[in-house]
Amino acid sequence: MNQNRDFYAGLVATVFFAVILFVLIPIYVKVPSFIPGFAPPPDMWPRVVAVIGLVMGVLALVLAFPKMREASRNQVEGFGNRILGNKTHLMRFAGILIVFAAFVYGMPLIGFVPATVLLLGVLFVMTGNFERKFWMIGLAIIFPVLLYLLFTEVTHTPFPKGKLLSANISHLTTLI
Amino acid sequence: MWNELLYAFQEVATLPNFLAMFAGIWGGVIIGAIPGMTGTMAVTLALPFTFYLSPVTSILLLVALYKGSTYGGSISAILIKTPGTASAACTVLDGYPMARAGKGGKALNMALISSCIGDFISNISLFFLAIPLATFALRVGPPEFFMLMAFSLTIVASISGRSLVLGIISACLGLLLATVGEDMYGSFRFALSEDMKSGLGMVPVLIGLFALPELIKMIVFRPEDNAAAMKLGDNRLTLAEFRGSIKSICRGSIIGVILGAIPGIGPSTAAFFSYSEARRTSKNGDKFGEGELEGIAASESANNGACGATMIPLLALGVPGDVITGVMLGAFMIHGLTPGPLLFQNNLGDVYALFIGILFSSVFLFVAGKATAGAFTKISRIPQTLLLPCILILCVYGIYSIGASPFDVTVLLVMGVVGFAMMLLNIPAAPFLIAFILGPMFEDNMRRSLAISRGDLGVFFQSWISWGFFALTVLFVILTIRREWKKWRDNRDATSASAH
Repeated sequence: MNQNRDFYAGLVATVFFAVILFVLIPIYVKVPSFIPGFAPPPDMWPRVVAVIGLVMGVLALVLAFPKMREASRNQVEGFGNRILGNKTHLMRFAGILIVFAAFVYGMPLIGFVPATVLLLGVLFVMTGNFERKFWMIGLAIIFPVLLYLLFTEVTHTPFPKGKLLSANISHLTTLI
Repeated sequence: MWNELLYAFQEVATLPNFLAMFAGIWGGVIIGAIPGMTGTMAVTLALPFTFYLSPVTSILLLVALYKGSTYGGSISAILIKTPGTASAACTVLDGYPMARAGKGGKALNMALISSCIGDFISNISLFFLAIPLATFALRVGPPEFFMLMAFSLTIVASISGRSLVLGIISACLGLLLATVGEDMYGSFRFALSEDMKSGLGMVPVLIGLFALPELIKMIVFRPEDNAAAMKLGDNRLTLAEFRGSIKSICRGSIIGVILGAIPGIGPSTAAFFSYSEARRTSKNGDKFGEGELEGIAASESANNGACGATMIPLLALGVPGDVITGVMLGAFMIHGLTPGPLLFQNNLGDVYALFIGILFSSVFLFVAGKATAGAFTKISRIPQTLLLPCILILCVYGIYSIGASPFDVTVLLVMGVVGFAMMLLNIPAAPFLIAFILGPMFEDNMRRSLAISRGDLGVFFQSWISWGFFALTVLFVILTIRREWKKWRDNRDATSASAH
């Protein structure tokens, strides 16, 4: 299993640096019409780094081939089969991505403290260890609240209250 | 000089500094004692809090965390056969057999004493080596600094992981990420959104890369929980036992200092090297691995001996030798200080205060370790399923408190996923981090050199210092390629042999 990792690392690096070099640099690195003195243009450094990264990615691919040949000779299962075999791991990883995305998009809506309480609770559930249920429930509520108090009192950080919550409170105030 | 030292002593001897050092040592020991938590994590987690402290207090807190975690790694190594940090891997070999024989307390005492002695020798060497090195570095200009940084990155890239190619890929990723935002002449690069125009914050990137992948790994793969801890048992370390190990402690400390001062090597290699030297030269060499005190002394003196020495290239040249000193470089920058020769010229008082504070931290390590060894044994039993999610929440609050920016929290989470992907692909994270921190300086020195020379690349080869670093870089690359070529050829031979 370890033997194919270099190939995938090389593949990912090659694709990534190629996208940087041929797509992102031309679009997102603007060269100004006038550069003072003899200073090199702003796209020079990213180009140099991306070219080195691309060459290294290709090199990693090339160096991984003998190991790949050996792996196929020994009837090691292919990547597709391995992904299907590790479906549970993939699902868990996808779950983490969804939870993180939900936190980023949900936090401005429901507020920082409720969002962190929910995030901690979901992460405890995702660890799959339910031996200490009461600890989990207690920590999921108390820990974010304690941190909120600590940071608001000591560093005076203005944490987002949440648009939904603020809207409801202002609505209630108007009604009263 | 003496006046400045006296003034620095007064600056260090304040309650906030002592509290920071005690908190750092204790926090470091606690984090180091928990398997899976590393010194890097301890230092990166503390980084957001340093925003609210003075520069000297911040660095002392981080140094204390580093030292505490390096010693803390030995607690779980000895009592539950799981090194808390990579540098304590050798301590397991003799520490756990001693704990099983009912001598866990004795092993912990030896680990503490040798750690403190190694640490003290390392601090003294920092004091005597950093100043001459910084004086020499004052003669160095942008082209020489560019070559020095290229040399440091090459070493870190080739030593950190299994392969030089993957190390360079990691460094390139870090260098590219460092270009996001506004450059030195006001041009925007890779500003895919409005938030990205001011670049990516150093702290969310560092914490995301080093603290979060462990949590994601735990959720995805769900490994077994911590093993059961052994009892402390016999606690007394006799003078004769200490005398029997003093040679290994001194040798280990010197090995730690030498290897720690070379960028990219660090405490783990120092501990392995010192252990194997002690085993080779000791009259009890054949008993190593069965519960020999000298083995613990050799490994622990070397890994703590490297701690102070890793600060030598950081303070004198502004080049971090490993991930932890990379994070410390970030802490210096947060406070508007740039480590390197100019720090010694412009902020000598702060530098002396740091030296004195670092010396104090050795004493604090001894006191904290001695007073609370029993309590620390319980820490290694905290289940990771409770701990790691709480750490993520702590990171989220800490990151948000720095700039009150939800974008920083997004960067933290994205970098956690990137760090996990790198972990899966065996791409080492250390070159990424050091390249990300050094990136702006690296590019700045290159562009300034080219601007001075009107675009002539010959500027990088005009002085013997540049040539020296260039030769060392080439030599290092050739040696690494030779090593990898040999490995590749052996693999190929094994492949063809198995085919026939």
